[in-house]
Amino acid sequence: MDVDTVDAPLARVQNENGAVAVTGTRTQLRSKKEIESQRRIKQAHKAYGRGSRIDVRGIRDKKLRRNLNNLENKYETAALKAKEAEILLENQGGFLEPETELERTYKVRQDEIQKEVGIEVAQKRFDLKLDALGPYVCDFTRTGRNLLLAGRKGHVATMDWREGKLGCELQLGETIRDARWLHNNQYFAVAQKKYVYIYDHSGVELHCLKKHVEVSHMEFLPYHFLLATLGINGQLKYQDTSTGNIVAEIPTKMGTPVSLTQNPWNAVLHVGHQNGTVTLWSPNSTEPLVKLLAHRGPVRSLAVDREGRYMVSTGQDNKMAVWDIRMFKEVNNYFTRSPASSVAISDTGLTAVGWGTHTTIWKGLFSKASATQEKVQSPYMTWGGEGRTVERVKWCPFEDVLGISHNKGFSSAIIPGAGEANYDALEVNPLETKKQRQEGEVKALLNKLRPEMIALDPNFIGNLDLRSDQQKRAEKDLDAAPVDSVEEMRNRARGKNTALKKFLRKQKKKNIIDEKRVKVEEMLKRQQDRTDEKHAEKVEELGPTLARFARKQ
Amino acid sequence: MPGRQSHGRPVLPKGAKGGSGGGSGSQKSKKAPRKSRDTIRSKALDAFAIAEAEVPESRPKGIRTRDLEEEPERNQKRNRGDDDDFDEDDDEDLDEDEGPPRKKKAKKDDEFEGFSGDDSDEEEWHVGVNEDDEDSEIDSDEAFGESDEEKFDGYSFGGKKKKGKKGEDDESDVEDDESLGSDAIDLATALDQFSEDESGEEGSGSGEEEDSDDESSESEEEEDDDLDKLDSLQNAISGFAGGDSDDEDQAAQGSKQKTKLSLADLGLNVNDPTIKKSLKLMKKEEKATKSGSSKKLAVPLAKRQQDVLLRSAAYEKTSETLEKWIGTVKHNRRADHLIFPLAQNAHDKGLDNAELQPLTHKTTTTDLEQTIMAIMEESGLGPTAKAEAAQEAGPDGEKLSQAEWQELQRQRRRERELHSREQARAKRIKKIKSKAYRRIHRKELAKEEQEEHNRLVEAGEIDSDDEREALDRRRALERVGARHRESKWAKLGKKAGRAVWDDNFRSGLTEITQRKEELRRRIEGRAKGSDDEDDSDSGDSEGNYDKNRLLAELDAAEAFDDGEPTSQLMNMGFMRRAEELRKKENDDLIGQIRRDLNSDGEEVDEDDEPVDIGRRQFGMGNSAPAVKLPTSSSRKASAKAANATEPVIFKDAPSLQRNAAPEPEAPSAPGVAGQWSRVGVEERKKSKKVPQGRVDELDLSNYALSAAAPKSSKPARKTAQVVVEQEHGSDDEDALHLPMAIRDQELIKRAFASEDVAGEFEREKAEVVKEDDDKEIDNTLPGWGSWGGEGVSKREKARHKGRFVTKVEGVKQKDRKDFKLKSVIINEKRVKKNSQFLASQLPHPFESQQQYERSLRIPVGPEWTTKETFQQATKPRVIIKQGIIAPMSKPML
Repeated sequence: MDVDTVDAPLARVQNENGAVAVTGTRTQLRSKKEIESQRRIKQAHKAYGRGSRIDVRGIRDKKLRRNLNNLENKYETAALKAKEAEILLENQGGFLEPETELERTYKVRQDEIQKEVGIEVAQKRFDLKLDALGPYVCDFTRTGRNLLLAGRKGHVATMDWREGKLGCELQLGETIRDARWLHNNQYFAVAQKKYVYIYDHSGVELHCLKKHVEVSHMEFLPYHFLLATLGINGQLKYQDTSTGNIVAEIPTKMGTPVSLTQNPWNAVLHVGHQNGTVTLWSPNSTEPLVKLLAHRGPVRSLAVDREGRYMVSTGQDNKMAVWDIRMFKEVNNYFTRSPASSVAISDTGLTAVGWGTHTTIWKGLFSKASATQEKVQSPYMTWGGEGRTVERVKWCPFEDVLGISHNKGFSSAIIPGAGEANYDALEVNPLETKKQRQEGEVKALLNKLRPEMIALDPNFIGNLDLRSDQQKRAEKDLDAAPVDSVEEMRNRARGKNTALKKFLRKQKKKNIIDEKRVKVEEMLKRQQDRTDEKHAEKVEELGPTLARFARKQ
Repeated sequence: MPGRQSHGRPVLPKGAKGGSGGGSGSQKSKKAPRKSRDTIRSKALDAFAIAEAEVPESRPKGIRTRDLEEEPERNQKRNRGDDDDFDEDDDEDLDEDEGPPRKKKAKKDDEFEGFSGDDSDEEEWHVGVNEDDEDSEIDSDEAFGESDEEKFDGYSFGGKKKKGKKGEDDESDVEDDESLGSDAIDLATALDQFSEDESGEEGSGSGEEEDSDDESSESEEEEDDDLDKLDSLQNAISGFAGGDSDDEDQAAQGSKQKTKLSLADLGLNVNDPTIKKSLKLMKKEEKATKSGSSKKLAVPLAKRQQDVLLRSAAYEKTSETLEKWIGTVKHNRRADHLIFPLAQNAHDKGLDNAELQPLTHKTTTTDLEQTIMAIMEESGLGPTAKAEAAQEAGPDGEKLSQAEWQELQRQRRRERELHSREQARAKRIKKIKSKAYRRIHRKELAKEEQEEHNRLVEAGEIDSDDEREALDRRRALERVGARHRESKWAKLGKKAGRAVWDDNFRSGLTEITQRKEELRRRIEGRAKGSDDEDDSDSGDSEGNYDKNRLLAELDAAEAFDDGEPTSQLMNMGFMRRAEELRKKENDDLIGQIRRDLNSDGEEVDEDDEPVDIGRRQFGMGNSAPAVKLPTSSSRKASAKAANATEPVIFKDAPSLQRNAAPEPEAPSAPGVAGQWSRVGVEERKKSKKVPQGRVDELDLSNYALSAAAPKSSKPARKTAQVVVEQEHGSDDEDALHLPMAIRDQELIKRAFASEDVAGEFEREKAEVVKEDDDKEIDNTLPGWGSWGGEGVSKREKARHKGRFVTKVEGVKQKDRKDFKLKSVIINEKRVKKNSQFLASQLPHPFESQQQYERSLRIPVGPEWTTKETFQQATKPRVIIKQGIIAPMSKPML
């Protein structure tokens, strides 16, 4: 986890002569301690702060002012605490560093790395030779422990790749276009010739999703438990894998899509099309949220970084474009030798680009810390050139490993500095036990987000609706039946204290007698009468001796 | 008067009582208008006195105090009301609540201005006085107006008077206070005194005389005299105005004895010993109280007024006590968390558990502690031992006298300043620089060293030349035979990864490093002390030697660093800056000297400028290779230059070795257009990797390249491209250097030429913009408000066209999010499904959207914050722990 320092501020644009404009000069003298604490606060705010403070001095209401001030202080301490907790991030990631200016990291070959690293790491580089059943696609689970391989010609295999243990192996005997793990290593979905099928870890077919026809791309949104599929006909479908409901079926209306990826930050899907546009979709709207023109030809592959800031796309026009998808601006445009078939961005921001028989790994294509993005001149590392056409590149989470599936099987390459060194076990635990996995599954289901919560800005929840009253009225459905609040209240029974009673109890204080209250009282009376009647009946039924046991309810 | 008799003073002699009763009777006669009232009062008093007599010694609470008991309840009620207000406000606006009490206070003050604040004695008189007033509905302020004052003209209001007096006499004040202190008893005495006073007053005739102390004392005397005899009293009553002369006479007589109306005067013989006893006691008491009770009792206030005063006083008291709690209440109301049972009721309150107490003999209670203590003592670490050590240290420190100590410090400081490192360095450099110094010392030193060497040789301490040669040979052989880093053995081993599994290989590697280290040490050793080999060098070239020496010296100067952190003064900014400046100057100086030295020599090493080794070479590669040094540090470089002849050195600097080797330099691509092209880079790198063996191969390609270069380099590079590993280049500038890319791009352009993707996109965007923009909808129906159908002229139709137009507001183009973004269309339509998570209106306490949204900013979950923050955020407001929850015993603040 790289936390940028205060010394290199976010937006500081250099002049042509190298001078940097100083915005706020400090004039008063401060003690060293004070400066240090200020610095810490700044650092903490930069790394963990959530937005800038609001000015509380202007607030007239004293109580609100105090409360907001307390809140701000709480936020600040929270940020500081988070910064302090960095001490617990004990592992450090590191990249290959050239010793001299003449050295080039992309010259380092995999076997050289394997020779130098420890046995444990060296073992992580391996090749699976599966040249019979066509180009393979691969997928890692969120924990990075399990690997799913699916060959075009119907071969599916799962494995715990570190231990080299095969989970299951299937020969489906029909075309496989894509395969995905679901929320954990227990289930995976395979897009086959006609439908999408869900299998469990032992390879038993659990479901056939007949609504998803001729699916070419799939994505799984882990926090929403949504399996998104994109068919050859351009239908984008969301299916809730926890309930089994289809959430949304949206025609993209752009012809056969070429690529699909998800933005892990806001769960918006990015679809690449034949005409070079990339559209952003959520299950809540039938039109794309955003449409951008990234390439001149078909968009072959897409990838979004972990923080949802940057998107890298490759196109048939031999270009690789880096987009800032918060500002929707193209950051940089690179040239590729041949159309890149697959792009993937690692946790630390390394970008793997698979093209032809090669894979190149780029470092620093984008960095959120700098104001202006530099154009990288040479790649970080390279792989391949041995006649294996790359089908898909995929980073293994929490590992310095890049999985490359190609027409002759699967290869894993060691890429120093690719994985997140410090994992958050509350989020995803790569070392989880069975029990933890089970508990995590339950927790994830409890914390499942609703598909309606997907939007470009995921922080919108709870924000103020800024429409004018006029707009609201205009949008109101006038034909809708009026809501009978009393009836609604009646149905909202909770325990012994019925909603009606509660309402009356509260109304008594106010001493306002309106229609609603009268109605409620009537209703309550009726209810009580009914219960009394029932009680009387029961008493009669039980007879004089046993009458005392009749429950009054 | 039976009431009187039983009134608080049971020992009063009967005669006196009678006298006083007479006094009161006279009073009655005097105050004609108030007669009837007085009778009532007397009745009331009677009852009062009876009541008091029943409980004589228990000092029954006065009305005031009784009222006080009632008052708090009332106040509490009120305060509860206040609290409710307070609840609603729930803020520091308590001042608002405090408003009314303040007003009341002010009112009260007014009242006190109207009447005297001193109402202790008088008040009690009011018990039955003004019953008739009770139904009158006079406001408390007006109750005692000027008319009343006129009414009570004959009476002096003691309080008022006293107020007047206060400024003059503090004594009386004190007395008042004393009398105030004891209510009930004083009332009794006061009653008596009042009657006496009044009788005196009657004698004196008017209250005016009591304006001053003297007069009052005079009147006292009068009283005494008047009381001498009953008849004289009667006289005085009859001749009211003429009392003055009598008074003066009495004063002149100077009879100061307190002759009171005694039993004897009344013609009663006191024989009963008990009565005597009581009489005596009474006298004593009288004496004691006399001086203090010189004042007169004023007419008590009306009951209503009294009650008002009492209430206000009581209110003040209660509000005072309640105000103590305000801070606590506020604090608790604002507190994030409240913990019950309260800390102030905790059993261990006041104990400081925060830190461990030091272990002493007294505090050791448990076995463990005692054992530890014993061990500490044994090992001399116990508390006693420490004290000893301190004592030992004491005299040592004190050995130095104050003056000596200061002297020492001063000296140290001087030294420190003297040793300011840059100054020292400058000195040294100057020394080196001076040519004279060099000239003088060169030969001298040489001679010295020669002598030394000779001496050593003779002594047999170092080897003779032959021996040295033999040694050298041996060393060379060693080197030839040995495994070293660049050897085939090492390379092969490395390639095979033998270090991982082959112990033999690993031991060999360690041997290599050891030897390397050893050699390095040897070289350094020679560089420092002038060794035999160094000598031989000097023998070869004296000038060179001299230079080397100088350089070495320079190095030393450069490296010179006293290292010690200097004084506080030196750490200050300006001092450091000055130091920095000096350092820079010195460095410049050294650089200058170096340059001078180098310019002398034929081997020019431009160590200041970065040299790209083996990188950029132009023309044919047969030009004489220049000796190049790594640019890492000029000092090292110079040192190496000094020892350039040493073969061992090359081991340290492989680059040097490589350059020194007569290797045909590979000419790379020309630097005109494509000097950074991949070809050149690749070739150069290969040349770096493969130092010797593959030179020929390289040469071939290179020559081919260089031959092709001057022409349009495209075809040549194309061929090269095949060999070279393909990789990505960046688009714009690099593309210019990449003919392949250019060609590709051309191709690509042609390939995608048919599709005007960008244009299409633009059109689409324009469409979307137009669609989202404000729209005017013409709702005019043909035939509505005009004639329709056939035969209506076109003009008529056109005239009716825009009659009913509705305007639909949309998103204007300039308001669009993608207004300034190229090739991006952002959907402006509201996502309805999302809006269910929006707040429909600003929640209550917030004043603006920013405030509200800010309050939602940090998620509470444990995934987003630290554990501590999470727990703090989810901690309940009221925490109830096990135990008895007692109410707050006292305010917390």
